[in-house]
Amino acid sequence: MRAKISLKEIERNMYRQSIQDGIIDIQIGSILLIFAVAPHLSEYLGDFWSSLIFLPFWGLIYLALRTVRKKYLQPRIGQIQYRSSRKKRLKSLTLSIFIFNLLALGAGFLFLVKFPNFPESMPMVVLSILLMTGFSLAGYLLELPRFYAYGSLYALAPLIGEYLYITYTTPHHGLPITFGIASGLLILIGLVIMIRIITGYPLPDQEYLA
Amino acid sequence: MSANPAGHSEGNPLANINQIIHAPARLMILIHLYVVESLDYVFLKNQTGLSWGNLATHLGKLEQAGLIEIIKGYQGKKPQSLIKLTSQGRKAFQDYKRSLQQILDDIPDDL
Repeated sequence: MRAKISLKEIERNMYRQSIQDGIIDIQIGSILLIFAVAPHLSEYLGDFWSSLIFLPFWGLIYLALRTVRKKYLQPRIGQIQYRSSRKKRLKSLTLSIFIFNLLALGAGFLFLVKFPNFPESMPMVVLSILLMTGFSLAGYLLELPRFYAYGSLYALAPLIGEYLYITYTTPHHGLPITFGIASGLLILIGLVIMIRIITGYPLPDQEYLA
Repeated sequence: MSANPAGHSEGNPLANINQIIHAPARLMILIHLYVVESLDYVFLKNQTGLSWGNLATHLGKLEQAGLIEIIKGYQGKKPQSLIKLTSQGRKAFQDYKRSLQQILDDIPDDL
């Protein structure tokens, strides 16, 4: 029984080390940066274009990170192919996030129809709950405990933003400040992980890989 | 009672232990291969902490015994070999685990 538990732990550690390259942190930080930048941009571009302009930005970030992973990280970390149980778990993440987004959209729509005169701070509370739930779901399925911490950080962002707005009338419900800090922190964590891998693991000689 | 090359007598349960797997470095390699589909040299080296030379030697012995398979290939222009446990290797590891567990269970706590 003890052996079974330790094999499970070894597999989990190997899986975690294969994906702990900082990419996922930078990607999430870049995606959620929209909450920090879009409110400012919407003053000049309107709500639609201020959000749409993020698509090419995310595309560029994605391409840059893919190149960094291929050229600098993977040669140092190595490659691993998981067993079917792990693959199934990872596949279920995509489906779960998709269903979660659909439910969140549906619930949001129903909320707007049923309670048109909701309090002004209500969307921030809902956003906070959605972020915490989404990150927790991803943390559970990816088996990455730091996602719970990320969830808490992002769940606090709209609430603190709303507090700043009510107390100091900070523009855009304080979102540029709170989401800017949270996203900046995630991007920084990702960069630190990347740099540690690049400096800590030397590139292997080609003769050993043949 | 005859003795096997390892010096154990035939009646000794330790004689039934797979000596190829019993070496700590090779056992460590097999444990890491047992829990995944396959992995490459770099990942295995990082996990086990073995030197390139040691890793190559132990992998060679395991491959010779038919416990692992090394699939040579390329990723782009760079060589990349994937290492995986064969079905024989998987069974041998399970047998080894069972035998060792049995031996340890049979040792009494007090003399």
